[in-house]
Amino acid sequence: MDILIYGVINSATLALMALGFTLVYGVSRLPNFAHGALYVLAGYICWLLLNRLGLPYILAIALALGLVAVVGGAMYQLILVRIRGMSISEIIASYAIGLAILEGLRWGGLKGGTFTLPAFLEGSVDIAGVSVDFQRILVVVLGALLVGLLYFFVNHTRLGLALKGMAQDERAALTLGIDSDRMAVASMALGSLSAAIAALILLPLGSIVVEAGYHVLIMAVAVCIVGGLGSWTGAILASFVIGFAQILTTAYLGAHFQVVVAILAIILTLILRPSGLFGKQKELEERV
Amino acid sequence: MFEALGLMVFYENMLALNNVSLACGDNQIVGVFGANSAGKSTLMYTLSGIMEDIAKKELMAGGERITLRGSINYKGRDISHDKPSKRAKAGIILCPERRRIFPESSVLENLKIGGYLAKPAQAAETLEYVFKIFPPLTKIVRRLGGFLSGGEQQMLAIGRALMAQPKLLLLDEPLLGLSPAIQYWLAKSIKEIAEERGVAIIVAEQYARPIMPIIDYGYILENGSAVVEGDKDELMNNPDVKSAYFGA
Repeated sequence: MDILIYGVINSATLALMALGFTLVYGVSRLPNFAHGALYVLAGYICWLLLNRLGLPYILAIALALGLVAVVGGAMYQLILVRIRGMSISEIIASYAIGLAILEGLRWGGLKGGTFTLPAFLEGSVDIAGVSVDFQRILVVVLGALLVGLLYFFVNHTRLGLALKGMAQDERAALTLGIDSDRMAVASMALGSLSAAIAALILLPLGSIVVEAGYHVLIMAVAVCIVGGLGSWTGAILASFVIGFAQILTTAYLGAHFQVVVAILAIILTLILRPSGLFGKQKELEERV
Repeated sequence: MFEALGLMVFYENMLALNNVSLACGDNQIVGVFGANSAGKSTLMYTLSGIMEDIAKKELMAGGERITLRGSINYKGRDISHDKPSKRAKAGIILCPERRRIFPESSVLENLKIGGYLAKPAQAAETLEYVFKIFPPLTKIVRRLGGFLSGGEQQMLAIGRALMAQPKLLLLDEPLLGLSPAIQYWLAKSIKEIAEERGVAIIVAEQYARPIMPIIDYGYILENGSAVVEGDKDELMNNPDVKSAYFGA
């Protein structure tokens, strides 16, 4: 029973971590390797606002989310726009930005386990004999809520539909007056926002450490590759596959196998089904 | 209203458009006819600004060097260096070659994405108009774009372009791959659209026969140059055009 409950929680955690990454790639074909850094940055900004400026928690959260979204958008506008379309350069540049942010934070004093955010709700509850604290339940609830919100956004708002069009056929979208650079900024801002949301939901469970940035990036990449790059359904399904695999190995082999599972999932996917569970690597090239 | 002067497009050293000038007045339908590789699509991409974007991408990826020359004037302003999105906002909407329907979106969603530039009231009104002029679309609103027939795709592509509230509609090979019956029906619809929506239309086609009756003025493109131009009667009575396009 605890495998089931913690499997769901772990899967929701992974889905939260990966959502922003898959969103940006799905819409703009931009591999945002600064994803993990933005995650840690959100936590640290929130911590600063909370502890140095003494702002109320809600306000600190809102400000941190806004700031990280701006950082993400600015990252595209100032740097990535210059190398648009060269995917290797995009990976290198975004990873470099991520490194700069993460190691900059470490240099600035983000070390040790003393940086923590308070849980939204204290306390725990028994589900079928397993004790689960409220924050972990919130992870599942808010994770589902975020997926729902993003789904609504992409399918029913003007900007969301424009992003969807841009993702499917850039040239067709251009003819309709949708601007590719503006859409890329929007998607980066949105992806960073989801990374920040994930951070603020998940970080109260542990402490804010630089290593989390690398961990989140690996998990996001693993989920996206297993699910099929840019596919939402794939990403969610893959978080459940990897999430449960991790909990099972933790229960029967040991906790230090968690990252091994993720990497193994990447390797197996690339060998057996390179486009991922739901990936469409242009199977149907233009039919005339 | 719309005038292009001395357009030249080079792919590396290959001349794709050679000193092409054309004009289109309010509510006019202008035809551009030519065989494959005559430069029709290059012309349409240049007019809509997509060529600027292609050239930029090629430059970044270290691919082909594309050079553009000439000027495009629209409503008394030189727009030849405007981005595609800016030209679209000004009302120049391209319905691209091979339609480029969004394959994973339903018919309705394709149209909604097309309405990006429209205000909600305009979008609702245009949506109704699209279904009125292309009734077959009403039966397939939920079908995905990738599963449509050629005729359905073309109706959807034109409908989607209309959603963007064009003042000048550029149609690139709208008749490609359609049966003769549908070709004539679609040509008639294009004429209706021009009249009912007050849109100027430039249509590039290799099948001149169905389009010729609906145009006000036309150009014949050959190897990147506009070799003949004239109004409907002048073109139809030109012996070269007659032999090449009407088999007489």
